[in-house]
Amino acid sequence: MELQDTYYNKSEYVETASGNKVSRQTVLCGSQNIVLHGKVIVQSDAIIRGDLANVKTGRFCIISKGSVIRPPFKKFSKGVAFFPLQMGDHVFVGENTVVNAAVVGSYVYIGKNVVIGRRCVLKDCCMIEDNSVLPAETVVPSFARYSGSPARLITTLPEATPDLMTEFTKSYYQHFLPTTVN
Amino acid sequence: MAYLTQPDYVKYVCSCGQLKPITSLYFCRHCLKIRCGFCICHEVDSHYCANCLENMPSSEARLKKNRCSSCFDCPSCFHTLSTRATLAQPRQPVADAAGGDTKVENKQPKKMYYLSCFNCRWTSRDVGIPDQPVASGGWPERTNPFTTRFNQLLDYYKAIAQQEKQEKLERERKKFAIRGKYLTLTDKTGLTGAMARNIAGLPSSESGSSATIANFTPSQASSEVEELPEDIFTKDVNLKLSTSMAQRLASPAWQPISVSRLHPLAKLLSVKRSQRCRACDHNLTKPEYNPGSIKFKIELLAYYHVPEVKIISFESAKPGAKSALLLKLTNPTGHEMRMQLLRPEDLPPDDKEEPKSLDKSLEKSLNLEKDTSLYQWMQRRPVLSGPCTVNAPSTELTLAQRDDAAEYDDDAHHDAGGIILWRKSNKLALRLEVETSESATPGTEANATLALQYSYRNTVPPAANAQPHRDHTLYTVVTLQLGLVAG
Repeated sequence: MELQDTYYNKSEYVETASGNKVSRQTVLCGSQNIVLHGKVIVQSDAIIRGDLANVKTGRFCIISKGSVIRPPFKKFSKGVAFFPLQMGDHVFVGENTVVNAAVVGSYVYIGKNVVIGRRCVLKDCCMIEDNSVLPAETVVPSFARYSGSPARLITTLPEATPDLMTEFTKSYYQHFLPTTVN
Repeated sequence: MAYLTQPDYVKYVCSCGQLKPITSLYFCRHCLKIRCGFCICHEVDSHYCANCLENMPSSEARLKKNRCSSCFDCPSCFHTLSTRATLAQPRQPVADAAGGDTKVENKQPKKMYYLSCFNCRWTSRDVGIPDQPVASGGWPERTNPFTTRFNQLLDYYKAIAQQEKQEKLERERKKFAIRGKYLTLTDKTGLTGAMARNIAGLPSSESGSSATIANFTPSQASSEVEELPEDIFTKDVNLKLSTSMAQRLASPAWQPISVSRLHPLAKLLSVKRSQRCRACDHNLTKPEYNPGSIKFKIELLAYYHVPEVKIISFESAKPGAKSALLLKLTNPTGHEMRMQLLRPEDLPPDDKEEPKSLDKSLEKSLNLEKDTSLYQWMQRRPVLSGPCTVNAPSTELTLAQRDDAAEYDDDAHHDAGGIILWRKSNKLALRLEVETSESATPGTEANATLALQYSYRNTVPPAANAQPHRDHTLYTVVTLQLGLVAG
């Protein structure tokens, strides 16, 4: 099935020159440390914690409502240190999801109500299903589909996943339209 | 991606009769047929560990029983274990500690490592495994108490396999030498020579009995069983201390009963696989060697060669009524495609030559010998009857080639009136009519079948003696799920 149009209130969203669409109802802490590489959608009530460490996303990322993007920390003998969080291109983060990963590759689909533990590494082309919990420091390999709590490999993804994910995020962006005033 | 999060509304019919979404189908450019994971050959390309992403040569993988040597899974919850470091003060003699502080400062605290599960908080210290001075590797390996017996059995069966192979060769040679009319018992029934001799009570083959087979002592069953302890029914059971079935079976060699006997499980390796067409032995997919890479050297997916059919929207089907259906067709190839919608009944009969060659190669690859039942079962025809029929227009549709730059072009061209709703580079939307039969019972699935005829330009360079025949007309059958029949 083709994606249906989703509408947003034009006054609520800020559109930048590179095509990022960021809701005004978000918490972007330390915005000087947040880099959105273009055509990224950050929906309402999302939290990006740039004050802890750098957060970088690629192109065509979708950060859904109520999700939290938070750089991970590591405990050392002398206190804790935060590490930057990198996200590749064409990443989808579902609603009410918490991402504490160190690296999220390209073409990654993270469902809704998911918790990605501290310093997880999500390789390119993987999928975390809805309502999963990924414990800290997990490595998710390419073409893996994880589900459950703790999330475990359940099946593999088709070889065309990069193209599918590209098409998905692009069409999501195209179908994310401002409501027209009648 | 909608394919990964939604049910499969559109399914294609594979040349073996399976119904699959386009994402799990392959397209062999050499036979010009759609193949699926069920009717192709899967081969292991390389072994790698999914956690440390390190490659392992297949010979080494076999030696290590397909397990990674540096990564471990939690024996309690099966999540990957992490290595944690602690600073341990080297143990000092009591006299030293009492003697003075100067000596203590000389001794640097040493970094020691242990394994810990971040999911269930199990640690290697829980079961008394001493901390290691190195971060990875060096974990003590448990030896199976039955290793010798295990190896004995393994050698024995290897020797038997070897012997049977030898006998088969010999028999084949005999078959060619004397083509008499008397079939031997073994030939007729397919029993192996060893079994036949066993039945006849003859000593196993006089020539091939090697030392390992002769020296082998079979297991002896004994009628005496160890008695249960007396307090087995009276003692309180502490379930926290006993392991679950899954935990026991995760290490089949030890099968620990109490949690204090759990031991880290070496992580199982993953494989990169390549896939091969059974009819022509050409590769359909071949991944790059590097485990972190998502690229493919060869990637003949149906998604890149067969026109994609997607449902945009549909009206719910009512018995005896007509409803509208919007379809999107996409041409994924780099050449212009001419397409025509047909009814599945109008498809030209399939040439019968192909299954034979597939049959032959199946025999080769699966070593099926005379048993073709599996193949016949594979070759079943899918159930394509649904209560709905799509009224196929007789016009030929032309789809432009795929052009990655076209996405920056302006909006779609809207066509008024005709069946084409809009066109945009290599895509077009069709407005079609679906007829539901009178006899359709409300509440059942409204499925429709549609056949596609499309032109395909083969870009495989032809063999030297072959004709430069490049343009083909191919057919594919698609089933559409249009919800339920309304009451």
